[in-house]
Amino acid sequence: MQDVFIGFTSITWKMLIMYGIGGILIWLAIKKQYEPMLLLPIGFGAILVNLPLAIAWEHEGVPGFLRVLYDAGIANELFPLLIFIAVGAMIDFGPLFRNPLMIFFGAAAQFGIFATMIIATLLGFDLKTAASIGIIGAADGPTAIYVATKFAKDYLAPISVAAYSYMSLVPLIQPPVIRLLTTKEERRIHMPLHEKQSPQWLRILFPILVTMTAGIIAPISVPLVGSLMFGNLIRESGVLERLSQTAQNELAYLVTLLLGITIGGSMSAEQFLNKDTILILAMGLVAFIFDTAGGVLFAKLFNLFLPRDRKINPMIGACGISAFPMSARVIQKMANEEERGNIILMQAIGANVSGQLGSIIAGGLVLALVPLLVK
Amino acid sequence: MDGIIEILRNASSTEQAIGVSVGGLIGVFATLAFFFVLIAAADRFSKH
Repeated sequence: MQDVFIGFTSITWKMLIMYGIGGILIWLAIKKQYEPMLLLPIGFGAILVNLPLAIAWEHEGVPGFLRVLYDAGIANELFPLLIFIAVGAMIDFGPLFRNPLMIFFGAAAQFGIFATMIIATLLGFDLKTAASIGIIGAADGPTAIYVATKFAKDYLAPISVAAYSYMSLVPLIQPPVIRLLTTKEERRIHMPLHEKQSPQWLRILFPILVTMTAGIIAPISVPLVGSLMFGNLIRESGVLERLSQTAQNELAYLVTLLLGITIGGSMSAEQFLNKDTILILAMGLVAFIFDTAGGVLFAKLFNLFLPRDRKINPMIGACGISAFPMSARVIQKMANEEERGNIILMQAIGANVSGQLGSIIAGGLVLALVPLLVK
Repeated sequence: MDGIIEILRNASSTEQAIGVSVGGLIGVFATLAFFFVLIAAADRFSKH
């Protein structure tokens, strides 16, 4: 008789909390529209895996469908790389080619990754886990998942949830940090728009050269950079329009769906409900704040060396975090609020796509440097 | 370089993190600076 009610008798208070967390993620996705494509599947996956006996994960030694997906797409890093092909096909480097100076903000706004990594070690995490936590500051879900899979598999779920949650919260996180670090005058700076078109040969050559450069500097980053740039090459080649559209739509949607529910499936109560999860979620926020501050302060530093008529609106620096294209939209909205008609969207997008480049290169460098110091 | 790595191997986690941070930031800036030069050179080349 006890077996009949095993579903009721095996529910624990931790499972109930996980149902609540899953419900909150689904609520955020539907009601607040925060990254719904990811938070909804993650939330549902979190509920699925915490149902009694966790049949969706494993039953009597036989892997359930979530475990099969995990082994096929997360454990071997396949899903994040497929997402990168899709993201690469979506990225237009044109605004960056028109304003190449913007590329430096993609570097400066990676500051949060490293600052957070240092803080994480101070809180007692080992270097590999600290590096995985810091990568939340890449503001780039696939990079965070990729690094966490290599360095800190046990923390994959909280790191992924933090990365995607804070990406969706960019409109709430960035404005107060920017306002704190800039004056009203600085936020009103206009920037000239460069209308020139970049030649197609540059658009084609760029992804190839970026891949080769990254492969030489940090060979371990090749899967990350290579898949992103492969997607971009498909887009820019001009002869693979259908493949480009497939990558941007069907591939992106399908893999996002599977990635989301699989990450949710890794959120078992035993692994997720602990002090470390709370610390990781808190440090994810710290990473985004430091990223934004790093980009803005670097822009202000840059302005010290520029003539008065060529000053950069320091808000642009905040777009150096990856979070493409949300960050650029947020900055344009802020510029318009400060002074109606101030259009800095193209420059913001230039910095934003640089952030995409900067984040994968930072991820690649972390993957290359950390194993030199710890086995 | 080997000497620095050897020292960091025996350092605390925080010191190692600082080392990775310095190396990482220099690496990101240097790589993106190289891409900047590439784009600027291509821009100049395409004008001719």
